Amino acid sequence: MKPKRAGQFWALDILGAALFSWGISGGVEALVAGTALSAWLACLAGGALLRASSVLLVHHFAMPGAQIGANLWRRAAMSRLLGGRLPAPVSAGTSAALAIDHVQAIEEHGARFQPARVSAVVGPLLAIGLIALASWFSALILLATLLPFVVGMIFAGTAARRASERQLDALAALSGLFVDRVRHLPLIRHFGAQARIARQVEDATHGVATRTVAVLRAAFLSSAVLEFFAAIAVALVAIYCGFALLGLLPFPPPEPLTLGRAFFALAMAPEVYLPMRRLAAAYHEKQMGEAAESALADFAPGQDEAEEASSTTSAAPSPFDGLVVDGLILTWPPVCIGPVDLRLPRTGIVALSGPSGSGKTSTLAAIAGQIEVPSGRITTFAGHPLDPADVAWAAQRPLLLPGTLRRNLALAAPEACDAAVLVAARRVGLGPLLEKRGGLDLVVDHKGSGLSGGERRRIGLARALLSGRPLLLCDEPTADLDAASAAQIVAVLQELARERALLVATHDETVRAIAQQEIAL
Amino acid sequence: MSRAAPSHPVELARPAAPVRRVLRLGTLSAVVAALSGLLLLGVSGWFLTGAAIAGASGLLAVQAFNYLIPSAAIRLLAILRTVSRYGERMLSHKAALTAMADLRSRLFRLLAAQDTRHAPDVSAGEASARLIGDIESLEDLIVRQPTRPGSLAAALAGVALAALSGWFPALLLAGLLVVFPFAVTALSRRLTAAPARDAAEALGELRARYVDMAQARAEIAAYGLVETVLDELAEPIARLDAARQALFRAEAGVAAFQLLYGALAAIAVLATASGGPALAALGLLAATAAIEALAAISRTALRQARVEEGLRRLESLLDLAEQPLPAAPSEPPLAAPLRLGAHDVAPGSHIALLGTSGSGKTLALEALAGLRASKAPIWVDDAPLAECAEETFRGQFALSPQDAPLLAGSIADNLRLARPGITEDAMHAALAVTCLDERIARLPAGLHTMLGEDGAPLSGGERKRLSLARALLAERPWLLLDEPTEGLDGATERELVRRLGDWLKSTGTGLVLVSHRPHPLSLAQHSLPIDALTRA
Repeated sequence: MKPKRAGQFWALDILGAALFSWGISGGVEALVAGTALSAWLACLAGGALLRASSVLLVHHFAMPGAQIGANLWRRAAMSRLLGGRLPAPVSAGTSAALAIDHVQAIEEHGARFQPARVSAVVGPLLAIGLIALASWFSALILLATLLPFVVGMIFAGTAARRASERQLDALAALSGLFVDRVRHLPLIRHFGAQARIARQVEDATHGVATRTVAVLRAAFLSSAVLEFFAAIAVALVAIYCGFALLGLLPFPPPEPLTLGRAFFALAMAPEVYLPMRRLAAAYHEKQMGEAAESALADFAPGQDEAEEASSTTSAAPSPFDGLVVDGLILTWPPVCIGPVDLRLPRTGIVALSGPSGSGKTSTLAAIAGQIEVPSGRITTFAGHPLDPADVAWAAQRPLLLPGTLRRNLALAAPEACDAAVLVAARRVGLGPLLEKRGGLDLVVDHKGSGLSGGERRRIGLARALLSGRPLLLCDEPTADLDAASAAQIVAVLQELARERALLVATHDETVRAIAQQEIAL
Repeated sequence: MSRAAPSHPVELARPAAPVRRVLRLGTLSAVVAALSGLLLLGVSGWFLTGAAIAGASGLLAVQAFNYLIPSAAIRLLAILRTVSRYGERMLSHKAALTAMADLRSRLFRLLAAQDTRHAPDVSAGEASARLIGDIESLEDLIVRQPTRPGSLAAALAGVALAALSGWFPALLLAGLLVVFPFAVTALSRRLTAAPARDAAEALGELRARYVDMAQARAEIAAYGLVETVLDELAEPIARLDAARQALFRAEAGVAAFQLLYGALAAIAVLATASGGPALAALGLLAATAAIEALAAISRTALRQARVEEGLRRLESLLDLAEQPLPAAPSEPPLAAPLRLGAHDVAPGSHIALLGTSGSGKTLALEALAGLRASKAPIWVDDAPLAECAEETFRGQFALSPQDAPLLAGSIADNLRLARPGITEDAMHAALAVTCLDERIARLPAGLHTMLGEDGAPLSGGERKRLSLARALLAERPWLLLDEPTEGLDGATERELVRRLGDWLKSTGTGLVLVSHRPHPLSLAQHSLPIDALTRA
């Protein structure tokens, strides 16, 4: 059920409130008349039961509905973030914030705000209609206060939104400062700058507090407007009814009023405003949800299928006969990488060097078709666009999925037979591991517990080999390895280069030594 | 109303005196708001019933009925409730936000005063983000503080009003009100404890697995493994969804319980009232309002699990000793002689550590910089590293690390980190040594250019040189350089090495260098194989 439809159960809440109010008014009348109370007490109980079931029903149906919507967003965002072509590299932390935290904000928006919005439109009118059955003049009073109230809410809401939008950026920067300084504590301590930075952090955190108070003031003011009108409306109904009952109205009584009817109108009056108070309570979820949707706009559900369809029609695959990169420039302000030019024939090694952060991995990703290329050409020797299906990737920290070693080695070629898997594994030097730890049935968890960095790296290489793709991109194949393992990996790379094309991002001199060409970034 | 929370962190979250003053005002507002809300409903009911009875009894009774006071009271109470409710919210949030800002500053000071060699590691993104989240959950604790006295006042006033309609209904209501907090806390604990834990676990697992996958993005995209990895994530996602559904429904359960409980109170008062219809109406409405005023308690109960989780994690930080932050020494200390393995290194000499990648050169530099505990055979001023005080490291060594970490802020902010009182002229001079002055002069904002995440708009090599300039500005007797020229073209590298050599000579600064490039190695008079330091 859609969250909006779940909101319709709030109507049951109004009916329950009406039954409860009827019980109150009947009960008080019965006390005046001195008649039996039991039927009215049953009304009270029945009304409360109705209200309780309404809140249970709304919550029961709203969340699953919201999760269906949120899961579409999550799926679209994850597919694109993990496997699609991106305009710029996205750090793992940002990626997780988008795919997990923002999606949760969308879910909250769906579960809390959407149902409240439905009931805020229908609820007040339904409550006023019920009151009109007892006292149409009271209903008129409530309707008349509702209008300025709605106008006031719109103004207060707009002012609050403007105020909060103005503050949000500043707030993000200031709270970011605290995280940044906490992360760099070792550096700060090293330079003996603790006291100075602590003062800076103190100013920033208090700045965040002051600004947040300003945002809250606007929000609380709008809910104060809401409560003020609600209170005034209740007071007006009480005074009208009281004077009507006393027969002291300054104008001819518009309707015959009994105590029961008056009491019903009074008890129901706050219910007119309750749905809108519920909506105001979900305002935070609304803001966060909308912010999340605009952050995820690029990953809207349904968008990636359309994109995939357009990219598959772009070019017919042609056989790989070498890689040509021509004037490749990557920019996502303020970063600028390149221009990179290189020619890599069907066999051999080209090294891509430069310090960490200089864009080696991004360049490889652009060649593999995983990042949009704003300028430059990536083709085969024959001049055809490079087919991403010709590109294998040996990662610095290869992906491990829970299961057997066999599954992990054959991820890129699930149909490979055991013999082929074993050959590839032995070629990259996984032989000792296979013998020691039970062969291909060795159980691997997603953390790679029990595997050394070198062994993980070899699993990535074997996987690339098994994929049978002619161009192999290697990202820092020897980083963080001890000298002996690094030397073994270099030997494997050298051997592989006799039969396929290797483009290796590295800052290790031993790898650069075996390359036919070195491109410095 | 749980008092199960650990005592330390509550102490930690105990706000300072000015904040407590704001909180007291907030509490006062909360009490006024709760009372005026309750009285508004009660007086309205009493006025209506009284008016009806008087109206029915004839003209004389109408004239005797004082309608002025109740009708004025109703209007006054309506305004009072609005204003005091606004005051309560504003003041309690202001108090909470100020208290959290104080707490953040205090925690930062606490962490900053630790010795890096033994300090808890909060440098990873996850850890620092959690620190923020834990503090935020404490915020809740303070925001809700004034609501408790408010609820209590409303409950007492409710009982007092109910007493007007007879002592028995008042007693019944009092009993119900006393039981309510315990009942609602027990119920929400029962409903939320398991799903709150499941949700936290599932979310943690989902995040950890997803981050692993995001780091392996290149492989997933290259081999088209998206569907496979999404299947792997399906299980934690399903668990998270189920737990969040259970939590959301638990909220409804608590709300439904409260509605039924309120009806029970109304029924009890109405059925037993004996003071006449008008006062029965007053008691009845007061009873409903009193239960409603206790809603704040059920909201607190629902969030209790999250708050306690945050408190528990902050508790571990509290065990850290509170100590004053070190002030910068007024006099630069004398250069200390080093002993690396069997080699004595005199102050002012230049030495290179040699070895293949991964052989521990960077670790040795970080040990000298006081960034990690080390058992390496290194002595500073004849004291083994492990026995050196933090001040020794801070007085003797200035490091430019391999990854050249930069603070979010301006270029000048980063240079100023090195020591207090650095002038812009000194910054330009240091940048000239590292061949970065012209590049920075070309930036429109110059030294005041703000650096983004990862030091953008500076390239990798430029970040390195900025970090090097910062180390020079620290003016310490020993300079520790880790691959200072990586990412530079040949001409710039030669120029930088020449200027750095001049600078070292003119200042008499000592150098411990790690590099695999021949040019910078020419700065060193001696070299030492790293094996001499790692074999021990």
